[in-house]
Order: sequence, then C-alpha cells, then structure tokens
Amino acid sequence: MKRYTWIFVIALLFLGLMAGPQVPPVQANQPIILGVPTSIGFLEGKEGLFCVNMAVDEINKAGGVNVGGVMRPFKVIAIDARGAEPGVPVAEVIKAHKKLILEDKANFIVFGSFRSECAIAVMDVVGQYKVPMLLGVAMSPAMEKKVQANYDKYKYTFRVCLNAVYLIKYLAGTMAYLNKQFGFNRVFIMNQDVAWARKTGDLMVKLVFDKMGWKVVGRQAYPTGSSDFSSGLMKARAKKAQVILPIFDMPQSGILVKQWKSMRIPALVAGFISPLAGPAAWKSFGGKIDGALNSIFEIGNVPCPKVPKSVEFFNKYKKRYGRAIEAGHSPAPAYEMVYILKEAIERAGTIDPDKVVSELEKTDRMGAMGRIRFNKGHQVVYGTNPAETAMGCMVQWRKPGKRVIVFPPSIAEGNIVLPEGLKPAK
Amino acid sequence: MFLGSLVYGFINSAILALLAVGFNLTFGISGVANFAYGAIYIFSGFLTWIFLNFLGLNYLLCIAASVFGAALVGMVMYYTIILRVKGLPLSEVMATFGLGLAIMELFRYFDFVGFRYTLPVFFDGSFSIGEVWVDYQRIFIALIAVALTGFLYFFTHHTKMGLAFRAIAQDERTALTFGIESDRIGALSMAFGSALAAVAAIVILPLGTIAVEGGYEVLINALAVCIVGGLGSTVGVLVASVLIGYAQTFTANYLEPHWMMLVSLAAIAIILAVKPSGLFGKQKELEERI
Repeated sequence: MKRYTWIFVIALLFLGLMAGPQVPPVQANQPIILGVPTSIGFLEGKEGLFCVNMAVDEINKAGGVNVGGVMRPFKVIAIDARGAEPGVPVAEVIKAHKKLILEDKANFIVFGSFRSECAIAVMDVVGQYKVPMLLGVAMSPAMEKKVQANYDKYKYTFRVCLNAVYLIKYLAGTMAYLNKQFGFNRVFIMNQDVAWARKTGDLMVKLVFDKMGWKVVGRQAYPTGSSDFSSGLMKARAKKAQVILPIFDMPQSGILVKQWKSMRIPALVAGFISPLAGPAAWKSFGGKIDGALNSIFEIGNVPCPKVPKSVEFFNKYKKRYGRAIEAGHSPAPAYEMVYILKEAIERAGTIDPDKVVSELEKTDRMGAMGRIRFNKGHQVVYGTNPAETAMGCMVQWRKPGKRVIVFPPSIAEGNIVLPEGLKPAK
Repeated sequence: MFLGSLVYGFINSAILALLAVGFNLTFGISGVANFAYGAIYIFSGFLTWIFLNFLGLNYLLCIAASVFGAALVGMVMYYTIILRVKGLPLSEVMATFGLGLAIMELFRYFDFVGFRYTLPVFFDGSFSIGEVWVDYQRIFIALIAVALTGFLYFFTHHTKMGLAFRAIAQDERTALTFGIESDRIGALSMAFGSALAAVAAIVILPLGTIAVEGGYEVLINALAVCIVGGLGSTVGVLVASVLIGYAQTFTANYLEPHWMMLVSLAAIAIILAVKPSGLFGKQKELEERI
C-alpha cells in the first residue's frame, strides 16, 4: 500500500511539472485596463477623458475586444496627474503613471501627460515596465527622436495628436496663403511665455518667416495669467504689422482678441488662442472675434464636412455629453487612440506589449481625424489630404458665430475674408 | 507709444486699486486675515455667471445677489473659521488660505473648467485718446476704482463703523473698553471686504474669462498693493496702485511683459527691506502683524 502511495505521489508531481507553471485561464470578463493620466482641471484633459470613456463604452457595448477569440472589455482607470500645471513637478506626474502601472495594473496608458517634459520623462517608465502608451496632448518632437534613437527601449510610446512640427506646417501654409492672396508680409508675434509656445514662435521665425521673406516686425512673450495685451498690440500698430501671430493656451488669452477689436488694430489675427477654438467662443467673447483665424490641431474637434467621420464623432460627443467639444486639441485623438489600440490588440490576438507594439506600428485606419498611420518615430502623420493623412486645420470666425474651415484647401469650406477695416496690401 | 503707456498704465493702476480695496479693508484696516480673498473674487464671478446663465435673472439682480452672496460667505467664514483661531495671525492666514484653495478647487471639481465662463461688459464699444483706442469698459473700471477708493477713505475716516474697523486693528482691548464688539466688527469687516472683492470681480472679469487660477494672481496683486502702500492706509492703496500699475505697464511696453510679475514681487521685497510698514502705513510694523 505504502509503495503504491509513493508511486501515486511521484506520478502527480511528474504530471504537475509537465503541465508547467499554472497560469489561470483568461476569463471572458477579465478587463483590459487602460490607465488614463490626465489633467481634469484643464479643458483638453477633461474632454480628452470624456472621449476615452465614450470610445470605451462603444467598444464594450459592441462586445469588447477580441483577444485571440476571447471577448474582453476595456476598463478605464483615470488619475488626475496634473501634468498640465506648470508648477507640478515632473516627479509627481511620473508617480501618477507608476501608480497606474504598478497598483492598478494598467495594461496600456492612453492620453498621457500634458507637458512635453513630463511625457518625455514618462517614456522611460513605460519602457521599463513595457506598457504601451498612446499620447494625446504633449507636442514636442523630441518624443519621436527618442523613439528612433533607442527603439528597443522607447518603442512603447506612440503619439496620436498633432506635434509642434506639423502645427508649424499648418501655420506656414496659412501665412503663404495670406501672402499670396493679400500680399501680407509683416508679422508681429505674441506668444505665451511657456516652452511649447516659445519654441513654436522660434521655429516660425526660423523655418517659415525667414525663408518666406516675411519681416518679423516684433515679438512679445506674455507670462501665463497675463490679462492685458495692450503693449503688444500697440507695438504691432506702431510697427505696421499686417498679421498678428498669437500662440497661447491660457484662458486669459481670449482678452487679446477682444482688445484687438476694441483697440482697432489694423492687422489680421492668425494663430492659436485656445479659448477661440470651441463653438462657445463667439458667445463668450460677445461676437468680438469676427475675422480671427484660429488653428484647430485635429479635425473632429471641429466638424469637417469633407471628412464625414469627423462630423459623426463631433455629433456623437454632443449627443452624449449635451454640449459640443470646446477644445481644439486632444478630444478626437483621445477617442481614436482607443480604437487604434483595440484594432492592434485584435490583430495581435494578445495583449502582450511587444506584439501589440508591432501591430500598433501597422495601424492604418480612417477615423475622425482622417487617415491614421504612424511614422517611424511613432507619430501619427499629419498632412493636407484626409485620404492620406490625419488633418489639422485653420478656421475663421464669421458672423453670426460660425467657424469656417479656410485651410488646407483640400477641406476648406471657404476662402479667408479680411475683417471689416482691413485692406489687402496688394 | 508713450501716450499708450500713460493711458493703459492708468487703467492698470485702477484695476490694481480695485483689486486691493477689499483686501485692504479686511486685512489692512481691520487686521483680519482674509487670504481667501482671491477665491472669493473667483467665487463671485462664477456665482454671477450661474445666476445669469442657469437662472436667467436680470443682470443687475445677478450682481446684487452675488455681492450679497460674497458678503455672506465672508461673514460665515469669520464665524466658522477665523473666530476659532483669532489672535493667532499665522493660523488665521493659513486657515483662510486653505479655505480659499478649497473653494477654488471645488469649482474645478464641479466642472467649472473651460472658456465659456464670461460675463457681459457694462458698456460696449471704444473711443480714442489721441491715437490710443480704449474700450468703455476699461474707463468704467477706472471710474469705479476711483469711486470705491474715495468711498473707502470716507467710510474708514468719517463713519462710526469705519472707525470701529480701524479701532479693532489698532488695539482690540482698548476698542472693547469703548464698547466696540470686536467679533461683530470683525465679521462685518470680512463681509464688507468680500463684497468689495465681488464688485471688483463683476467689473473686471468681463474683460476676459473667469478662470479658477486667476484667484491666485488676484491675491498676489492685492497683497503687493497693500504691503507697498502700507497696511491700513487707503491713500497708500491709491499711491501703491499707481506706482505698481505704471511700473508694470512701462515694463511691459519698454522691456518685456514677462517681467511684469516681477515688478509686484520686487516692490514687496524692496518695501519690506526699506520701510516694512509700507509707504503710508501708520499702524503697527508689518512684521508684527504677520
């Protein structure tokens, strides 16, 4: 009897060893966790999170994500990492990401840090823990350089939103249009005194205005929180600027356009002022933004009739949340990145990070922003043809409170019209 | 450019004076710390916006309700927070500052984020002084600032209640012997100061949008004006506003706007080093108060 018992125990041990490590089977309901570090105190962060939730709900309602034949839902765990606030140290933002990865066991990070310095620092964290991350706000091209410089370590980071280089291309195209159409070639630059706006201004001078033969008649940087722009506007008038290029993302920057109107500065405002991006701006600024040109970083944040999916997305958001998208940057990429991830997981048939990264690189999807494909630096390619690339655009505010897409020509709804009191230079 | 600097320097000075009068009344004149001042400013702006957009009330009624609401918050704050730490100046500062943070972050929490929070201007349009165009709203701000500063001077020098405000700051025990009930006057001082913050908000905020983070800037500017002018001195507020206002505008116009914020901070540092009680401060030395 004793002998049989020993044989039985040895046989059991043998079978146990043959079976290998005991991995619990994946259950159909076991969610795929999306960690969403955001800045809820900022419009882009709030609407970005809304869009992630919207996409997740749609996917889960349709059955979830097909992971190698098993349907699994997405689950969102959001954290207010406060990466948008200039005073919040990068270390705090990194801590928020680590919490999502280590405590909440996030399988993927979506949306991500706001400030580029945070996003770039977090690339090391997601590389260390091999957690694929899709960014939706930070704009520094340094991210792509980092991916290309050390692919194995940084391949887990992707960016779906516009970057600073593409923003400059859209602004350059608009300036070329203004030069060709109206003969304008004198510009005054007003920017917020923060890294991304300063850098964008620098690059506009170096890569656009100097090369295109424009004269930069002056430049003024305003600290975040400034509420009086009269000094810059007076200088723009004195130096006979024909175009004012504003680059701001602070709430107070709407005052600039109001002052531009009330001080009757004979120059066209064309650039980026975040409070002017959304449809509520007309009412908020009492209609005093008529004629101003404003960049929308990604279509979908504004409905573009020539890209039906952008209209569909814009309307879907409005229906779900009861008000329109106000941010000009981030909501559409936040929505799309969840679908990009879903498709990559389904192609990979697993949530193994390396396999998903390989599939993310193969992304080719028509979405709210146009055609979405990544370049070698893991940046979505933006251009001027929605059938080929994702798109940003320039809108012009017109009476009675309509945003008209005026650039690029492939999706334009109309031409740029000079506001009352402004005359062409040719 | 020079004329423009003069005109906008004057308007900037008026805005600073308007921001500082309420803070000066509470902290400067009555010696009651109200470091939630910036938060009350933002609170009043949002309250007006809510009355106007959600309840659809008449604008003047919204303004009256907001000013009253701010005064009520100030008074409640006194009885629930300040009274418990009274006599411990540092605790008063920390408690009210903490409460201010809580108020502002609550607005963030309840989704008051974005660019749609604006108030209508009182007077639309603009006119020119020489070659410098100015909008009517800014002129209105300047007029209100002058009127309120004048009122504050009259109130604190020629009314019984105003004199009581000053008395509790100078010597609370002596004031008590004269029959001035310091708790009641302290509460009224908080209410008046908060109401003045609301008036400033309703007049200034139509220039732009209501943003939570604006509260911090308001507090710093009000503090700078009161410290430079001398705590408790209405004339000091006026002079300090003009000095800082013009210094900021000329800095922006002839140097760079990003040095503007340094002007306020440098003014505080210099005045604390040279004359801690401020230009016109006649009461206790500043370091004895904080």
